Amino acid sequence: MSNAQRSPFTAAITIFALLFLFLPLAVVVLFSFHNTGALSFPFTGFSLRWYREVFGSFEFQQAAKNSAYVALSVAGVTLVLGTLASYGLARTTSRFRGPLALLFFLPITLPGLFLGIALVVFFSRLQFTFSLKTVVVAHIVYVFPYFILLARGALERLDPALEEAAADLGASPLKVFRRVTLPQIWPILVGASCLSFALSFDEFIITFFVIGSNNTLPLVIWSRLRRTVDPSIATISTLLLAVSLTLWVIAFFLTIRSERRRARALEPLLGEVT
Amino acid sequence: MSRNEESPLRLEDVTHRFGRVTALDAVSLGIEDGELVTLLGPSGCGKTTLLRIIAGFMRPTEGRVVLQGRDVTRVPPHKRPVNMVFQRSTLFPHLDVFENVAFGLRIAGAPRDEVRRRVEEALALVRLDGYGPRRSHELSGGQMQRVALARALVNRPRVLLLDEPLSALDLKIRLEMEAELRRVHRETGATFVYVTHDQREALALSDRIVVLDQGRVEQVGAPADIYRAPASPFAARFVGDANVIPVDVVRADGGRATVSIAGRELAVPCADGTSAGSAWLVLRPEVVRLATGDGGAVRGVVLDLAFRGAGYSYRVDVGGLSEPLKAEMPAELGPPFAIGSEVAVTWDTSACGLLPRDGS
Repeated sequence: MSNAQRSPFTAAITIFALLFLFLPLAVVVLFSFHNTGALSFPFTGFSLRWYREVFGSFEFQQAAKNSAYVALSVAGVTLVLGTLASYGLARTTSRFRGPLALLFFLPITLPGLFLGIALVVFFSRLQFTFSLKTVVVAHIVYVFPYFILLARGALERLDPALEEAAADLGASPLKVFRRVTLPQIWPILVGASCLSFALSFDEFIITFFVIGSNNTLPLVIWSRLRRTVDPSIATISTLLLAVSLTLWVIAFFLTIRSERRRARALEPLLGEVT
Repeated sequence: MSRNEESPLRLEDVTHRFGRVTALDAVSLGIEDGELVTLLGPSGCGKTTLLRIIAGFMRPTEGRVVLQGRDVTRVPPHKRPVNMVFQRSTLFPHLDVFENVAFGLRIAGAPRDEVRRRVEEALALVRLDGYGPRRSHELSGGQMQRVALARALVNRPRVLLLDEPLSALDLKIRLEMEAELRRVHRETGATFVYVTHDQREALALSDRIVVLDQGRVEQVGAPADIYRAPASPFAARFVGDANVIPVDVVRADGGRATVSIAGRELAVPCADGTSAGSAWLVLRPEVVRLATGDGGAVRGVVLDLAFRGAGYSYRVDVGGLSEPLKAEMPAELGPPFAIGSEVAVTWDTSACGLLPRDGS
């Protein structure tokens, strides 16, 4: 079979698949601007009333503050710990390097439900009170592997000869990291940190287990869904989507930018290097 | 101890093992002030390992590295007064050319105007005046290595280490850079330790060559001495691509030996103390001459012919020899001999050398 053939059939399938993926998204965004209380067609007109309603509600304000607090803490702590961990993993010559890296990645394969239950048990045993702080810890466990995945890749692609050259020119290990390593990988680290923020910001399952009596935005949506169905749910969802999307786009451009720069720097010697 | 009496770099019985593999086997070497020494050998001979040990990136399993009378074997690289030019470009991509060259001075905390002055001097030395604001991706491969050279020399290292700095460059640029390196070496009077696998480069650049094979020093000497009088079959083959032919010494006395080669007896010069038995005959390709007609020391058949511009290089199958004989003939000696043609092979016997051969 030719793989370059364009048939109307494949085009139709592609369009259908894209509609299937993005239509629900579009519907949610559309209804967040609805001028009536209905969350279903017919769409009767645009209005910002649900945004006014949501921004005016104390429940939303509190949850937004909580979500921001959690996501910022997670992004910050992960940035520092994740950078140290991935630098260690990328540069160690220990024979436990492989197993160690695997341990760091493993949580990525765990279902959220499992992680949630495990953390509930863990926190209960230690007699922690469930609060936003336990959520922060839980989310760090959840996003850490993603951060390592990105940061370690970037560090391993970084030519270790650059660090050797810096050491050779008199830079102590700390100065090598600050003046040579960090300036080259910070976009990736910040990008990975943005991703951590986004992952934490709309996380629901694990949060649900360990949050206690507080609320974050995904939990507000969930609790509102159980009470009434009105476009305020669509509104909060749209806001979540906007924040996540923005951070993903930032993360994407930060990582792409630094990859391009690296490729450009190698150009004149590429091909001749063995 | 006075500075002048101390050689800038001394290696004492440096041995390095990777697991069971011995990369360096008791290498001892003294380097004089202002010398350009080449570590020459095939890949895997340990030359790069040795350079990395001098730089401090590796610690030898045994032995000592002494810089200016000070044992630095256990001193980390950032505290050693040596600088290195690497094989690949290691310019910092986030810094421009000026800041790349200034890196070592800034780390050392040099005052601002001294940094400016010395960086400009260094860039002028490698003929890159005015390139300060450029980024590394705006430079050619040759320019990158010049910047790397300036970046190392600006710190006025006791010893400058160069790890095959030209091997990633095109031949034309490489020849230009060789000339530049010779000039920079003359102008700075610095001590250079240069690693290469390219014997032509080593012959062209060095005050002294250290021939390394399988982690051992095979020979140390001036390029012309190593070329003229190789100390081992390896050195003879690696430097100048000589024919190394197993022969039997029939008798030897008074600096001349009679050897038997391919069924013929020839008189060749030899060292005092040479005795009858097995030996290697070292024969440079450029002293071998081919001719038509009868006669000649031995006879052979042309196997291969390559035009080299200034002349022709041949491989000739000689009956009784296990390997084809290599010959280089200038073009002005006449048209080349065709492949398959039968030729008489002669050479200037005074340009031959004899080396002892074990296991006779």
